[in-house]
Amino acid sequence: MQQYIARRLLLNIPVLFLVVTFVFLASHARPDWAERRAAQGFTTGMGYEEAVHQIRKVMGTDKPLYAQYGDYLLDVVKLDFGTSLLTRNPVMSELKDRWGTSIELGILEIVVACIISIPIGVISAIRQDTWLDYILRFVAILGLAIPNFYLATLLLLVAFNWFNWSPPITTYAGFFSNPMENLKSMAIPALAGGFAVGAVVMRLLRSQLLEVLRQDYVRTAWAKGLRERTVITRHALKNAMIPVFTVLGFMLAAMFGGNVVLESMFRLPGIGQFVVISMQQNDFPVVQGIILLVAMILVLTNLVVDLSYAWLDPRIRYG
Amino acid sequence: MAVRGQEIEPRALPLEEQVILRHRVGVGTQLLRLAIHKPLGTFGVICVLIMAVAAAFATGVQVPLLGVDLPALSRYKPEAVFRMANPLYDPDAFNPEALSPTTLDRQSAPTLDHWFGTDSAGRDVWARVIIGARRSLGIGVGALSIATVAGAFLGVISAYFSGLFDILLQRVLDAIQAFPALLLLMLIMSVMEPSILWLIIALGFVGITQVSRIVRSTVFSLREQPYVEAARVLGANDLRLMAHHILPNTMAPIIVVFTIGLGTVIIAEASLSFLGLAPPGVSWGQMLNEGRNFIYSSPWQAVFSGLAITLAVLGFNLAGDALRDVLDPRLRA
Repeated sequence: MQQYIARRLLLNIPVLFLVVTFVFLASHARPDWAERRAAQGFTTGMGYEEAVHQIRKVMGTDKPLYAQYGDYLLDVVKLDFGTSLLTRNPVMSELKDRWGTSIELGILEIVVACIISIPIGVISAIRQDTWLDYILRFVAILGLAIPNFYLATLLLLVAFNWFNWSPPITTYAGFFSNPMENLKSMAIPALAGGFAVGAVVMRLLRSQLLEVLRQDYVRTAWAKGLRERTVITRHALKNAMIPVFTVLGFMLAAMFGGNVVLESMFRLPGIGQFVVISMQQNDFPVVQGIILLVAMILVLTNLVVDLSYAWLDPRIRYG
Repeated sequence: MAVRGQEIEPRALPLEEQVILRHRVGVGTQLLRLAIHKPLGTFGVICVLIMAVAAAFATGVQVPLLGVDLPALSRYKPEAVFRMANPLYDPDAFNPEALSPTTLDRQSAPTLDHWFGTDSAGRDVWARVIIGARRSLGIGVGALSIATVAGAFLGVISAYFSGLFDILLQRVLDAIQAFPALLLLMLIMSVMEPSILWLIIALGFVGITQVSRIVRSTVFSLREQPYVEAARVLGANDLRLMAHHILPNTMAPIIVVFTIGLGTVIIAEASLSFLGLAPPGVSWGQMLNEGRNFIYSSPWQAVFSGLAITLAVLGFNLAGDALRDVLDPRLRA
């Protein structure tokens, strides 16, 4: 196990380094363009040249590239992810109040995904090749194809036309200050995002379960005369869930990408919405800082998922 | 006066050829059999074909040699910007006076004049959906071409030479894959000119990792095949082995990944347009975003533009799945 952990760590450190380098290259490859676009938004009371000069100083692009790279690495190590051009606050402090919303949406989506996909995946597997199986599989295929922002739009329509309900758009309450109001604004994005995740989970769970159900120990369980429910939940589902758990971990990246759209669509003050707003306001240091931070967090999450997978399934360690 | 056909009697043919003749089935029958065998794949291919036709003939096409004008599917002509897609529309009876802003049909529900209704500016939604196919498909094919060429190249050399080069390249791809695709797109778009060309390049770049991973795993198994060994024994050099013996055999997974990748790219482009971060133009994502503002009063624009995205993505996914089953059953998940 120690050897496995060591190998995983060694593989992930260069990846982390490359992620930082990549964001650096992207943000410094064409400084002139970024400056010009940034200057358009911040020339209040200044001449154009003066504004460009100002921005160059703020972004540090007046130094040679290798010096900038050194500064950049040092900043990242010190957890300094840049300064907003607009508010002059460090990105980290701008993000302080926004983590909660994004994490809450992610958790709600996973909950929705599990509630939808586990029963459907199980039914689809134990009733393999029946019409029920075909319908459920088609729903899953549809779930993979439908963009979450379109599904959210349709859910808005359904909620309004059938239940005469629409979520609060202009107001947003934190979960801890007003849970009911908070869940009202979260409901539709969580359902829409969760459905997409659930579609992936359902397909995977179905194929895993079909494989596990053919194993010897499941036949033994049947032979002992256990009830169907016990065989499925106790013996089969438990083992079929291991890869599902891993995939959920790896899907965090995709989920975060999807939530960027959902958050700005429903005006949820999370990190995703902040990226979009900063992008629209040409506040590049913020955009790049957030993207770097998110990518680094995802690399570390993947590492944790990898390690816990090895812990859950001993076959991996020695593979 | 013997008719030519009667001169050859079936019995004159050798036995093997008779067998072959009896089993020869027309292309139409073959397609029909395939359609019955794979209904979902057929549905996907039909969606893709409709999209391709819409993109090709959206503004009408002049067939050069025949001197024929094919009608525009969208009827998106400059003099009739507002009253397009009317099947009963008669160009001679067209009256520009009727287009003054006061008489415009804004946010109308679907009618015979406007199959999908009109948007807040009085523009025909059907016409814009048809025109939007051109952008989605064009950007998709462009981006996937970049991703496929670069990804296949990297995948083949990575697996062929393996060793340190492979390890290093895979770490670089790991790093690219660590970013959520949409954020990576935003990162690239944030420093480049907001143009369609850069959007295509960015989308293509994001797709490289996926293509190269699949090509790489295929090449790993191909490398050890006896026919590759045989070619090497015959004196083929690395370049020849890769280009003539390995690359042609990776075509099946490449075609599949190209088809399914188109769906992914269409969603990505729609997401960026939806957020207003893509270059302007008639695009499904941007229409959906606009329609969202009038979702309760006139949902048509949002519903139909979103439906177009969904069907396009569904079509490419299903067509890709069917292609995989036909071309390379080993890849089946």
